[in-house]
Amino acid sequence: MIEISNVTHRFGNKRGAAAPANVLENVSFTIADGEFVSFLGPSGCGKTTMLRIIDGIILPSMGNVTIDGTHVRGPAPSRSMVFQEFNLLPWRSAEKNAEFGLELEIQKTKRADRERIAEENLSKLGLKSFGGYFPHQLSGGMKQRVGIARALSTAPKYLLMDEPFGALDPMIRELMQIELLKLLSADNRTIVFVTHSIDEAIFLSDRIFVFGARPGRILDIVPVDLPKPRWVDDEKIKASAPFVAYRQRIWRLMKDELQRGMQHAD
Amino acid sequence: MSQQVQVLEPPTTILSEIWARHQTAITRLAAVVIALGLWEWVVRAGKVNPLFLSSPSLVFEKLYEVFADGSIWPHIASSAEIAGLGFAISIVLGVPVGIAMGRSRFIRDSTEPFVMASYASPTVAFLPLIILWLGLGVWSKVVLVVLGAIFVIIINTEVGVSSIDKKLIETGRAFCANEREILFKIIAPAALPFILAGFRLAIGRVLIMVVVAEFYASTSGLGYLIFQAGANYDTALLFAGVFILAGAGVILNSAMRWVEGWIAPWQAKNSD
Repeated sequence: MIEISNVTHRFGNKRGAAAPANVLENVSFTIADGEFVSFLGPSGCGKTTMLRIIDGIILPSMGNVTIDGTHVRGPAPSRSMVFQEFNLLPWRSAEKNAEFGLELEIQKTKRADRERIAEENLSKLGLKSFGGYFPHQLSGGMKQRVGIARALSTAPKYLLMDEPFGALDPMIRELMQIELLKLLSADNRTIVFVTHSIDEAIFLSDRIFVFGARPGRILDIVPVDLPKPRWVDDEKIKASAPFVAYRQRIWRLMKDELQRGMQHAD
Repeated sequence: MSQQVQVLEPPTTILSEIWARHQTAITRLAAVVIALGLWEWVVRAGKVNPLFLSSPSLVFEKLYEVFADGSIWPHIASSAEIAGLGFAISIVLGVPVGIAMGRSRFIRDSTEPFVMASYASPTVAFLPLIILWLGLGVWSKVVLVVLGAIFVIIINTEVGVSSIDKKLIETGRAFCANEREILFKIIAPAALPFILAGFRLAIGRVLIMVVVAEFYASTSGLGYLIFQAGANYDTALLFAGVFILAGAGVILNSAMRWVEGWIAPWQAKNSD
């Protein structure tokens, strides 16, 4: 379980710059095991920062982050990140990228096991015959599949995804959403998924945390009650009345927030 | 149904095919042949005294002679020893210094003035001082070579290390890599293409320094040979020495480029 209480974060003041608004202000929530939660919001609302705070790459200026009863002081193997820009190591083949996490001392995995696990994960993601390819030889969608395989290789309890499909073209993006749900249906992983696509958040999530900007905070938490599995007849689900209603509700919320922000800027 | 579309293409002949494929190589070869031909012609036509310019045919004759009788080998060996030692020491010292500078702001700020000043100054000027300290043996020449080559290696390594994509380091941290793993599994491979480019640039400087050092502080080596040939008005031998050095430079440079392409094939295709 992820427990966040009263997290406030502000980036270090650069000399001469005006005091910045808090990137996150007084954010509290809990995420239960096995949940799929999306952080949805416009750019600059602190949703990515919140994700990084959960991972432990960033420590918050104030507040508490507790995961499974332990205070977070840095990254831990129970959590894996998937990045928007993939962040694959360009000098490693797909297979070697997928093995990266397991090679590290903290994992202490034997070579044979690493190779087996990497291969299993790549083939789960439909990249069975692409293990020897280098990132520059792969399409964006394939690169992110490698990124997901790499994240899964360390068998994390929590999968943290930072706009993972944001850099992909819209059609590949929808396809990847379906494949992600299929992939995750087999296990009971907890997912935190950052996105600025309303449809993506509704389609994937159990709950959506809608973020507002300046200061970054949670405007509303929307539980999504749509039938599962959603990848079957996904086009029907996306056109269904409840789906459209969710979209309207969330868009109204975000539109108000954005317009308020623009008046502020004037 | 399917109307054949007329495509206007120039008629291809074998010659035009060869030209299209090897345009650069053919142009280069032609330029060299013409230049050598002109040189040969001005000497043979008596426009220039062969004592001052020699000629390609005389130079190649001399090259054949010194290789055939083996008299060139001790000189090549002597120069190669100094070049090899100097280059190796430059790498062994320069790469760690460059990495330290790229990683630590304090180290960079405190060493940069010396590195930049040494890089920009004609280090040959130190030769008399080095001879004063180390005498005329191998080591004074090796030190001069190191002074000539090490800074370009340091600077390239530093640039490679400090320009690394921060996202990759963060990725390592997210997977709980320790500092040593960040250095060897992320920073070192990411900086490798820059480091290799530094080696390639250093090779040219190594050759220059070897020759200069041998001019003044030697009784063997290609620099010594060239200097002596000049003193004896043996311009064919002088050019033979220069040709050998030029050939070594070209070969080593191409070899380094090949190594760069082999080790870092993503570099060329990564620009999207």
